Amino acid sequence: MERKIPLPMLVLAILGFCYLLFPILVVVLAGLTTGEFLTFPPKGLSLRWVISFLNSEKYLSAFFFSFKLALMTMVVSTILGTAAALFLARSRFIGRAALRAFFLSPVVLPGVVVGFALYAFFITSGLGISRTIWGLWIGHILYSTPYVIGTVGASLATFDVSLEEAARSLGASPMRAFRKITFPNIAQGIQAGSIFAFIVSFGQFEVSLFLSAPNSEPLPIAMYNSLRYKFEPDAAAAGIFAITLVIASVLLTNRLVNIRRLLERQDG
Amino acid sequence: MTKALAIGASGLSQHQLKWLLVVPLVAFFVLFFVIPVGLLFATSFNPAKVGQVAVVSDISFDNYIRFFSRSNYLMAAGRSVLLASIVSLITLVVAYPMAFVIAKTENPARNTFLLILVLASMQLDMVIRLYGMMVILGDNGLINQIFQGLGLTDGPVALMYNFRGVVFGLVQFALPFMILTLVGVIKGIPPSLEEAARSLGASRRRAFMRVTLPASMPGILSGSLLVFALSISSYIVPALMGGFRVGVLPIHIYQQVAESARFQFGATIAVILFLISATAVAVYLKLGNRSSGGLA
Repeated sequence: MERKIPLPMLVLAILGFCYLLFPILVVVLAGLTTGEFLTFPPKGLSLRWVISFLNSEKYLSAFFFSFKLALMTMVVSTILGTAAALFLARSRFIGRAALRAFFLSPVVLPGVVVGFALYAFFITSGLGISRTIWGLWIGHILYSTPYVIGTVGASLATFDVSLEEAARSLGASPMRAFRKITFPNIAQGIQAGSIFAFIVSFGQFEVSLFLSAPNSEPLPIAMYNSLRYKFEPDAAAAGIFAITLVIASVLLTNRLVNIRRLLERQDG
Repeated sequence: MTKALAIGASGLSQHQLKWLLVVPLVAFFVLFFVIPVGLLFATSFNPAKVGQVAVVSDISFDNYIRFFSRSNYLMAAGRSVLLASIVSLITLVVAYPMAFVIAKTENPARNTFLLILVLASMQLDMVIRLYGMMVILGDNGLINQIFQGLGLTDGPVALMYNFRGVVFGLVQFALPFMILTLVGVIKGIPPSLEEAARSLGASRRRAFMRVTLPASMPGILSGSLLVFALSISSYIVPALMGGFRVGVLPIHIYQQVAESARFQFGATIAVILFLISATAVAVYLKLGNRSSGGLA
């Protein structure tokens, strides 16, 4: 019996995975280097830059700023996104598909443009939140909520509505039927969606560009500002923490929902 | 009769309840997405005035005339479109074998592992990934060290701070989106199709070229459009990998607004970029592909 995957295809795929993953591995090694400057391969491994990161006012405060912002974003995105996903799954409203596309659209529209639009809007409307954490919060909610809608939508697609209808026909109120039947069935989808919302906000750069202020910047902006001028190994050490956070989140998501099913075709 | 009325009433209230679920998000999107972007459109039709942010009632097409009459900006638009097209093509070629291998890996644990690798790199902050790219592609970077070590080149080859570098960076950025789109489509092709071609005497390569590849066409199209929209919008990749030497539209927007306080002209470039990107997204949606589960 011949192999399912032809050898040339396998070789090309391995090269592709190297392209995708090698830069990430490089950051980890760069953050663990012994040398004063970033060289590759590293001269030796040490925790000196990790310690330097943990003592650096700039990166550590940016890390915690991002963490706080991502938590704030996660809470609102999860609530708004879950409610909207429920509506999209249950309504027979004719413009449902268009509404869904509208909610998902920020993900693929230029973040710099949306960030600029929000920045100008915050100034002209006199809301007084341009270049504050509140303005960033709003921008991040726009970009994180689509991921909650996608993830909760996927778990609703596999949930059998007739279960909830059965509870209703046995006399349960809509709230009670939701709490006792639907919610437990989609709870893991909601948790996975909220992790996505967190991590999308944590890594968000484009929309933050116009909205962040000097001295209270999210981590990607702080790293970008220093990377424009020189490579700092403690930035790579900050990167190691971010990489760990992302890997942990994806692994946790995988325990909550079946990633393979999540990524499969989903209609409506 | 009363029973029918009761059902009708409860049906109505449930119907209203459903709408309550979506109203908050609609309100949020209208207030913080539709209105700001709408105001940006309006700003682009205001006469240029340095430092002025507010929308005024004067209507002027000068910003658009300026954009379309200066070769500087037209070339930036052309460069952006060219860049995004090249990136779509290269990303497709690099991603297809990866997607194929993922789709054909039947062992669930191995399949999940590969998907986790793709998903984790997609979720990782682009600045961190570019840090790694810059270490690899820089003048004293890994690749130049290898080239010079092997005696292939005398001096360093400029792999970044130019157009080429931006392409390398954008492909790295776009790969996960393309892979996830393609995996769904390749998985949906019934294996019996290729088997039938094989049993009729087609060679393996021929069966792939004539059956599997054409059957992946919907994914190829929508993945390319998605990558086009994502890469034409990127600021961070041209900024770091191009070192501000590759003037694409997002870079021009930032320079006009943050450095020159020319809000009206910045808004004009932003509107043009938004329209190019939205067109690609609209065609993508028209194709009806949601194979990445709404995550892309």
